[in-house]
Amino acid sequence: MKEIVRTDSLTKIYNGTICVNNLSMSVKEGRIYGFLGPNGAGKSTTLKMLLGLVRPGKGSIEIFGRPFDAKNRLSILHDIGSLIESPSYYGHLTARENLKILASILDLPDKNIDEVLNTVRLDKQTGKKVSAFSMGMKQRLGIASALLSFPKLLILDEPTNGLDPAGIQEIRELIISLPLRYDMTVIVSSHLLSEIDRLADDVGIIAGGKMMYQGTLDMLHKQDESKSLEEIFIGLTGKEHSL
Amino acid sequence: MIRLLKCEFMKTRRRYILISALIVTAAMLLWIYPVRYGEDFLRIAWMGYLYELPLINAIFMPMLSMIVASRLCDTEHKGAMLKQLAVTAPKEKIYDSKLVYGLAIMLFCIVLSWIMTIAFGYHAGFGGDVPVRLYLLYLLFTIAPTTAVYIFQHTVSLLFKNQAAAFFSGIIGTFFGVFSMFLPQLPWLRKTLIWGYYSVLDFVGLFGWTKEDRYKSAHFEVMKIDWTFFFVLIIICIAMYIIGRRLFKGKEL
Repeated sequence: MKEIVRTDSLTKIYNGTICVNNLSMSVKEGRIYGFLGPNGAGKSTTLKMLLGLVRPGKGSIEIFGRPFDAKNRLSILHDIGSLIESPSYYGHLTARENLKILASILDLPDKNIDEVLNTVRLDKQTGKKVSAFSMGMKQRLGIASALLSFPKLLILDEPTNGLDPAGIQEIRELIISLPLRYDMTVIVSSHLLSEIDRLADDVGIIAGGKMMYQGTLDMLHKQDESKSLEEIFIGLTGKEHSL
Repeated sequence: MIRLLKCEFMKTRRRYILISALIVTAAMLLWIYPVRYGEDFLRIAWMGYLYELPLINAIFMPMLSMIVASRLCDTEHKGAMLKQLAVTAPKEKIYDSKLVYGLAIMLFCIVLSWIMTIAFGYHAGFGGDVPVRLYLLYLLFTIAPTTAVYIFQHTVSLLFKNQAAAFFSGIIGTFFGVFSMFLPQLPWLRKTLIWGYYSVLDFVGLFGWTKEDRYKSAHFEVMKIDWTFFFVLIIICIAMYIIGRRLFKGKEL
């Protein structure tokens, strides 16, 4: 299976603290890659490096088989949609107006706006300013923004943050449908094992900035069948977390 | 770039940024409106305005710059939009489009206040016709330092999420700029700070004024214009633009 994202010894140091430590990641095309780790493990920093929002101190990134550098950055980002940390929006505008701005910059047709609003079920919220949205609605708008160009690669950083159980299920079902529906590869990060277990085809587990495991959850469980998945996860992340 | 400028216009919907700028401009115009000028002053008022207006500009233009730059840039900080924008367009173009849009608002306000200043003069019965060449020079010497101040405010407002940094630095700069006008014996002070250039480029002097006679025997004279400092200011503008753009490009989001 083709590799769509590959990092090699990716490192990021902030004020003498190693946030991401020699991280080598491999994401296969058409799969949902769950990027799992406790809070502060380096997930968001890694994803930001994949988008060029943060410069790695060391290491390399390859996306769509091309080196992710200053020369290729924007042309590669053209095929990537993202939601990093918290949803981005202009609170004084409506959801449609927000998406219209992004669509204008990316030179996308208006029908994309209609389709993504429909997909995330915000199509009825035409007159409401985003500042009046609930957390869940803002999160859905963030996902809509990421989907707007129907990218080849979708990067979602904790997309179910702040959602109620119904909202979590809705977003989960949406993410699961994306590879088949839109031929997308999805990287989704979370600190919740149960979420990733239900979503992801492949998993990368990060703790203390280091990749502790990469593969499927089934293979992880097979490593020690006497333990539950939670116990294995804590074993992998707890050791590093305490350092 | 045109697309990004169009987006800047779309983003400012319901933010009333132009209205805020026009309110500050209106406040400035209220201040300079010739309510009660004596006959002695009216006779030489066209020149009198050129003498007084740089001080007014040194107070109001930086304030206007702070407000416009802060409101334009805060729009991005509030909803954490910079990280979204940075994956759709080059960061340098984001810097440029916001700067051009802000400068367009500033230019509109400056030209509007310039037109109203001349209109006030005719309305109040200033003696003779407006000295067009001198008023065009005054317009140029208002636009130049305001551009420098705006580039500074824009950069600080875009780099720092907390707009207090922009306001604080702008207020300090304005204070020193105005203060330097009252210290002619320290010309280096106003030449060092961009806020002081409203005074550096001031080309009208007052002579013969006394407390007893006031404007009876006073006259205003056009002084020698030191174009060197105009070009120094242009170089400062270019340098601040290049530095500001680089700093924003290198900023991690």
